[in-house]
Formats: sequence, C-alpha cells, structure tokens
Amino acid sequence: MIVPYLAAIVLALATAYSAVVSFRQKTEGESAGPSWLFPDRTNRPARIFLGIGMLILVIGLGAWFSTNSRNSPPRSFRFLIPEGYRGWARVEFEISGAPALPTERGQTVIKIPPSGFLTTSSPEQYGWARDTYVFYSSSGVQSIPDSGPARFIWGKINGEETGSSGKRKYEEFFVGSEQQYKDQIDQPKPKDPSRDSHSPAAIP
Amino acid sequence: MLPFVLYFVTAVVTGFHVYTLLSFAVYKVPVNLFELLSLLGSFCLLIAAYVSLFRPHAAARLALLACLVMWSFYAPAIARIVRTRWAKPAAVSQFMGATVGATSKHSLLRTNRA
Repeated sequence: MIVPYLAAIVLALATAYSAVVSFRQKTEGESAGPSWLFPDRTNRPARIFLGIGMLILVIGLGAWFSTNSRNSPPRSFRFLIPEGYRGWARVEFEISGAPALPTERGQTVIKIPPSGFLTTSSPEQYGWARDTYVFYSSSGVQSIPDSGPARFIWGKINGEETGSSGKRKYEEFFVGSEQQYKDQIDQPKPKDPSRDSHSPAAIP
Repeated sequence: MLPFVLYFVTAVVTGFHVYTLLSFAVYKVPVNLFELLSLLGSFCLLIAAYVSLFRPHAAARLALLACLVMWSFYAPAIARIVRTRWAKPAAVSQFMGATVGATSKHSLLRTNRA
C-alpha cells in the first residue's frame, strides 16, 4: 500500500532534481568545482562497479521473470464429465490423501466421476483462464458448450467453506439445459456435502 | 553519485508499482496506455541513472523527459485520489443516515405498526 505513495514522492524528487540540473546556469561567483548536490562525472572504478552491478540486476530480473512465466502452473481446467450426467458437479481442492490432478497439453484435467463429486490434493488455480468441458464415454469425448444458446454449463462458482471436516476450497457448476438449471435453483441444496456421501443432486 | 541513486531508486520503485498494476491484466483488468508509457519512462530513467555516471547534464535531460512521461500516468491518478478523498457526501445522504440511525420514537421513517 505504501508503494504508490513512495513512487509518487520519489518521482516528484527526481523530476525536481532533473529539472534543476537541466536548466541550471552557473553564476559568476560560483566555484567551478563540483559539489555533492551537482556532482561531475564519477571516477572510473565507480563507473565500472555500478555499470556491472546494473547489468547483473537487469539480467537477473529478466531471468527471474522468464523463469516465473515458464514455471507457472497451467491455470485452465479441462473438465471431463460422464456422458448423460445432469446436475451439480463439485470439485474439492487441497484434500490430503486425494490424488493429484494430471496435466495434458497445458491444461489441468479434472475427470468427474459418475457421482459428480471429486476430491483432489491439487491446489485451486486462480487468475484468468478459459476452461473447457467435454462429455466422456466409452466411444470418446464430445465438447460441451459453456456459452451461447446451446449452453450446457451453468452457475459456476468457486470458494472456500468451513464444514465439519475443516476448510475446503471448492469449485461447482451445473451440467444441464437452461430449464433444468432453473428448476434446480428452486430446490434447496444440501448444506454440507460431506455429510451426505458427497453426492450433489443429479437429475435423472 | 546522488543523481545515480535518485534516478535508479525512482526507476525501480515506479517500475515495480506499474508492473504490479499491469499484472492485474491476468484478472481481466483492462490495461491503460498510460501505464505502459509509465513503464517506458521507468526504463528510460534506468538508462538515465547509468548515463549520469558519465554525463550528468545529459542524464538530467533524459531523466526529466522520462519523469514528464511518467507524470502522464501519475498526475491523473493522484488528482483522482485527492478528489475522491476530499469529496463531501451529499446533504441528502447525511439526512438519510441520521434517520436510519435514530430510534423509532424520533425516526421520521417510523411505521404505524403496533
């Protein structure tokens, strides 16, 4: 929080100083020698030392940014939903003992079981991402539209809740047509899914 | 050494600040053109810091130019913060606040429930 104020203050100082140095005229009475406020060129060892220091800093920052962007985990999810599944699907993250999520072609794959509920030890991914949804069956996979008139994914939420088994990070969404989704909203959802065998309501 | 330290610290602090703001783009926050200009200014200020070791006068001119470019982002931002902080609430809002906070006996919004 202090950074914006600090930035404005040092910028004001730098502007004032550079303006004074740029437009400064030496008066006749002023000594020709440099002062601490308006120094002349720095001596050679200091120039070399500071030059190398700056070069190392710039290269280090560049390497750090490139490494960070390369090692950052993929943010988007690929949800594999059982063919014919209708109802709420729920994924709970950072559950100890649960399997980790695999990654394929830059996307984290979440294979929802027929119950519609999945736990994983992998962390939730935050930030901007474009998730994809597919139905899977023995014959292969089929893409599910999550927008437009033929939309089949609704009410996607993620959050954190505290239940009987401690804190849980989760992601939920509804699989079905618009009418099925609207009908489902009117029905009360279970308060704590951990109590009722982790099974969100499914529509036959 | 003073100009080097001043330009260098300014470049690092402002560069870090604007980079932080730009990083919100991953959360779909739109990128402002003046933020990019400010980042360019920070880079020029970094160059000015190095040049100040050789030619302080030329470095000062480059630094002044970079600072003016950066003010194109900071000046409107500061003006907006000041305007927001000094903005006085409308009289109607104050009146409504007092009414809501009053007891039902003195409230102007008293209902006629028994």
